[in-house]
Amino acid sequence: MSRVNTVLGPIPAEELGLVAVHEHIGYGMPGSELDTKWWKTPEQRYEETVPKLRRFHEYGGGTFVDATGICNGRDVDYYRSLSAKTGVHIVASTGFVGGDTALPFFARASVEYLTEHFVHEITVGIGGTGGRAGVIKVGVSRGGRMTDLDKRIYRAAARAALATGVPVLTHLAIDAENAIAIFDAEGLPLDRVLFGHVDDGVNADKTRDTWIAEQGGRIGFDTFGYETELEDPPFWARPRKERLDHFLRFIGQGHLRKVLASADANCSPLGWPGVKGHTVNYIFEDLIPDLRAAGLDEAAITTIFVDNPADFMTIQK
Amino acid sequence: MTGAQTAGNSTGNTVNTVLGPVPAQELGVAAVHEALLSVFPGAQYGFDVTLDRAEIFETLAGKLKDFRRHGGGTIVDSTGMFHGRDVRLYETLSRTTGVHIVASTGQGPEEMLGGYFLTPQTNPPTPWPAEKFADLFAKEVTEGMVVPRVERRGAAGLVATAATLAGMTATDESLFRGAARAALATGVPVSIRFGNDAVRDLEVVLDEKLPAGRVVVGGLDRRDAVAAGAPFEVAARGAYVALDHVGAEGTGDTEDDTHVTDAERAALVIELVEAGHGDRILLSSNATGVAKGHPANDVAYSAVLTTFVPLLAKQGLGDGDVRRILVDNPRDLLSVR
Ligand SMILES: [Zn+2]
Repeated sequence: MSRVNTVLGPIPAEELGLVAVHEHIGYGMPGSELDTKWWKTPEQRYEETVPKLRRFHEYGGGTFVDATGICNGRDVDYYRSLSAKTGVHIVASTGFVGGDTALPFFARASVEYLTEHFVHEITVGIGGTGGRAGVIKVGVSRGGRMTDLDKRIYRAAARAALATGVPVLTHLAIDAENAIAIFDAEGLPLDRVLFGHVDDGVNADKTRDTWIAEQGGRIGFDTFGYETELEDPPFWARPRKERLDHFLRFIGQGHLRKVLASADANCSPLGWPGVKGHTVNYIFEDLIPDLRAAGLDEAAITTIFVDNPADFMTIQK
Repeated sequence: MTGAQTAGNSTGNTVNTVLGPVPAQELGVAAVHEALLSVFPGAQYGFDVTLDRAEIFETLAGKLKDFRRHGGGTIVDSTGMFHGRDVRLYETLSRTTGVHIVASTGQGPEEMLGGYFLTPQTNPPTPWPAEKFADLFAKEVTEGMVVPRVERRGAAGLVATAATLAGMTATDESLFRGAARAALATGVPVSIRFGNDAVRDLEVVLDEKLPAGRVVVGGLDRRDAVAAGAPFEVAARGAYVALDHVGAEGTGDTEDDTHVTDAERAALVIELVEAGHGDRILLSSNATGVAKGHPANDVAYSAVLTTFVPLLAKQGLGDGDVRRILVDNPRDLLSVR
């Protein structure tokens, strides 16, 4: 049976449709909830979020994968109401964006505890919400190298992925040798891992995307839209054409079946200002038109946004 | 409120409790270093951690009533803003039990902070400086303590921070300086837990020109601090000396070897009084009312009153000195100046 866990329950993978595989309803660093400068009323949060999801649905978007980690403002009750009211399937993550976003309770936890926690969130539910996680988020802490804690989280993610069949999605694909060594040691096939953010402005040069693909990993060009052309670009922005050329070059090397693409946008950021004008709908409004203009056919576009994510997201048991 | 820092007499002053300002002379016997709900940061998300508010309330109310029955008046939750603090629950507890509750702002040491303060979304990810911590903490006094992403409630009654046990880190120093500046700006006191050198860590907050009488140094009944003579040096500088692990021995917690025994603690109190520091001593238990995500200790808030005061009396400490330590000193410390 093909299944994917969404926050409202399992759905058949055939129903995912077009998937935005790395997005955020709202992201904030742990502790940002203490700083009132970022607070928004629930009215404001819905007001900023609902139209973006509705637009996504109207454009033909099927599924929104929220890649927000456990301590980063992940709010499954809220996601459930958004999904029910907009018709967009929302998949929530277990795991952490990186070791530096795991609070002390998890930072001190053993690999065994972290594994058990991830498995619980995938098979039983997240807190008391009833919603189950459909993907495991892991990542590399600031600084460019995997920390010991990052490695413990990767190892626990690998074990939980094997135990439950859900895939793993990474924040950053730098230091991939260490990541792949852990996945190999744990016996997790690399096609269950999406190595994300290979396209980001800070790390693209240091990311061995081709090598990762050759090892069998999936490759995430998933910061589309964070462009230096923006009015107020973030530090990880990159010139639009440079990113697009990178993506097309990579596909041209025969990696079409390996790539996924997304915008990593926040519908309503929680602990940072966000980036004005950047939403999940960049996929429809900019990226897909750019790909068509570059000569990609509809079959290829379907492969990138529908077939590859369905293969990746399907629980493999 | 930053005006004259008059020592001693605090007759006209008030203390920030969770139910609002209370005249300082109404506090009664006050325990300055205790924990009500103590949640190790992140444990609230743990799949096997349950936070049943009704159950937590019942446990804490029982412990507070026991404290009151033995003559206690005020409990200070000195766990800061990011260790399970639940202001609404504390308001209800105070109303129900009649015990004054003072809650704290502040956080630390570095390891206990969220990534927002340590690796912010800037390039490079520079940890927060003192000035930003000062602003965060001061607003919890002037505008009220936060219920994250929901609202602000009553004013914090003190700023609590701590240094890394192995030694103060750069971020710990920012926390200490920020705490001192917040205290200067708002008039509430500062509570510090030192790392590996109590006097050195105290000097950091004093360097911010915070009068020593606005500072309490916790954990001075730690064996290493006692061996180094830190309680006397801290008192000599004019800061409050908290011997705040009363009753810890024999509770099976891991702090057994870290702190002196109650008998040794009582002897230390007598020596401090004899050295003229009777107006600088504070007694407390660091009792964890309800602990989530870390081991609880099984110490009652009333331990000072039920077991320790009799020890002091037996060693010859007079009623006047006992009263000064249990009532007058915390009143003077907690009074908003
Ligand atoms: Zn992301």
